[in-house]
Amino acid sequence: MNQRLDANSTQGLPAEDPATGRVGDERIRAEAARWEKDAYRAETEIHPERRSFVTDIGLKVNPLYTPADLADAGHDYLSDLGFPGEYPFTRGERAAMYRTEPFVISAYSGFGEASECNGRFRKLLDWGAEQILVALDLPTQCGYDSDHEMATAEVGQVGVALSTLADMEALFDGISIDKVKRIGTLGNSIGPIVLAMFAALGERRGLKASEFTVNLQNDPLKEYIARGTQILPAKPAAKLASDCVAWCVDHEPGWSPMTVCVNHLNAGGAGSSRATAIALANAIHYIGLLLEKGYTIDQVAPLLHMFADERHDFFVIIANLRALRRIWARMMKERYGATLREAMALRTTVYGHGQEALGEPLNNIARTAFGTLGYVLGGASYVYIASYDEAVSTPTEDSIRTALRTEEIIAHEHGFTDTIDPLGGSYFVESLTNRIEAQILDALREVEEAGGALRVIDAGLGRRWMTEGALRRQRAIDSGDRPWVTVNLWPQKPHVPNTAFRIHPDNERRQAERLRQVRAARDEQRVRRALAGIDEACRTGANMVPPTLEAVKAYASVGEIAERWRRHYGVFSPSTDF
Amino acid sequence: MLVAKVGLDGHDVGARVVARGLLDAGMEVIYTGLRRTPEQVVRAALEEDVDVIGVSILSGAHLAHLLKIRRLLDEQGAADIRLIAGGVIPQEDIPSLEQAGVSRVFLSGTPISEIADYVAAQAARKVS
Repeated sequence: MNQRLDANSTQGLPAEDPATGRVGDERIRAEAARWEKDAYRAETEIHPERRSFVTDIGLKVNPLYTPADLADAGHDYLSDLGFPGEYPFTRGERAAMYRTEPFVISAYSGFGEASECNGRFRKLLDWGAEQILVALDLPTQCGYDSDHEMATAEVGQVGVALSTLADMEALFDGISIDKVKRIGTLGNSIGPIVLAMFAALGERRGLKASEFTVNLQNDPLKEYIARGTQILPAKPAAKLASDCVAWCVDHEPGWSPMTVCVNHLNAGGAGSSRATAIALANAIHYIGLLLEKGYTIDQVAPLLHMFADERHDFFVIIANLRALRRIWARMMKERYGATLREAMALRTTVYGHGQEALGEPLNNIARTAFGTLGYVLGGASYVYIASYDEAVSTPTEDSIRTALRTEEIIAHEHGFTDTIDPLGGSYFVESLTNRIEAQILDALREVEEAGGALRVIDAGLGRRWMTEGALRRQRAIDSGDRPWVTVNLWPQKPHVPNTAFRIHPDNERRQAERLRQVRAARDEQRVRRALAGIDEACRTGANMVPPTLEAVKAYASVGEIAERWRRHYGVFSPSTDF
Repeated sequence: MLVAKVGLDGHDVGARVVARGLLDAGMEVIYTGLRRTPEQVVRAALEEDVDVIGVSILSGAHLAHLLKIRRLLDEQGAADIRLIAGGVIPQEDIPSLEQAGVSRVFLSGTPISEIADYVAAQAARKVS
């Protein structure tokens, strides 16, 4: 180092900068300023810049980044980046990353009836899917059986109908769940029920919990702001979700019972930095409930994942993931005193999107491929990708196969996954990572000062951020500031093609009929006893998973179990603000 | 104008953005909030004496819910209330919806100004 310094000095470069301890930054800064003025501005005065280059999260993108930008951000390689699989995990959650195995090729799928959906799952596995996340229909997600009045016209529509364990058995019939890397579902408002259904399915198959892996989203708090499947008031909903984590710590520590979500918050308008901050506040709330119960951070944190999201700006995708891993690692260590590597190394789930358009849907293949590539360059662990027709309807067989193939191409062709964190050290990406980290931490501070996760829901801060952002995006599209091919560039009239996937018109009737048969065949006394066990856990505050498991095994339905919760905890009140 | 979410579809960003856009365009706008039944939507429309009901649906349950709202409106002597729909609705369903008395379908991606112009024209028609 000293030798190089001497060599540089002999070439007339300034000596070490006393403020930063770096050599040459001043010179580079001066040169960059000269270039911008003499070369860049000289050219753009004649040919003006084509637009203001502002990212969706409001950060301005400069024409060029140099080492001086890193110096300005106080960038320090060893403490800010380190090495993959080591603190602060900026460069990756595992040491070998994709060189041993690429990211887990994952598919989110579900429609119609369980038996019909089973056929789709088998095909997905044939095509190379390593994880299946079951898309449930809205009645199931909202805690209603297929024959409930509120289920009218919604059964099997955006996912498969899952009313009892019998549906789960049909759904995975003939599929070796121990040969798949992970199976799971969202179940945000019915976490204990879906966890119990997967546990019971394994038990029926004679599998030990360590022989298969279950992954749940089970993050109810963001539903109140963004996704809308909430059943109960937020406080008891968070308690039930944290019960799933506690139960897994005690029984199946290899499972992943909670994925704290950024994506719906961002998609709904919050922007990825604010959405990440709200998601972190939600994680802090769940962790708090678990620590209160006497669990330690080293027990709890390894079971939590985050579902990151950015879909507008490619380089922001990469930087957001890197910043998120660093924030998580520092938060676990500094705030909670975690000591285990697994508690600090955040595993991320992502779902590759772009600005998908309704018109000319095949263009969405390119959009989602770039979006997914960004996540892979950012080091995501579990990767999903939107099908090109997903903005329109449940994906068709062709479109979901193309989506899976796109993931496989990214995993295996072009050398995308050959070296770890390939953009680490990029002046632009590192500058962006630092700025995004600061933006997320500022927003998190704002959320915590406002009172944290529950207050953000009640006081409307989350919804305000969402609406503001959604309006800002809409205006940027209407004005052309945010270019969008076929929407504001070469605009085409939006239309939803007739080829959109449709479920069978008899689906609802058949599903209701099957539910009646299950109810007729089960041991009613056992069901009543099990449901009384749920009432008991509502009263005592005991972990909800054991009595729910008993009820599920007795073929009590999703609606019957959720109804007990509604009676005890009450229901959420929908906001009419906009 | 009453902006409504019917059924279990929880995606209400589009509905809220349209509601805000119409408010900014000078209209009086009410939003029902999530998870309303067709009966609740019609009751709210009659109580608030609105000119137009805009229903946002992205879950695929549009036919059943929209047709029921139209039928309830007509049965309760509110045939003059215009019913419009927004969201993700396949092209082939649009003629059946229009035939059944849904006066316009605006798909995702429609500029808010286009919706505002239409709603304003409908309200003006009702007054005159």
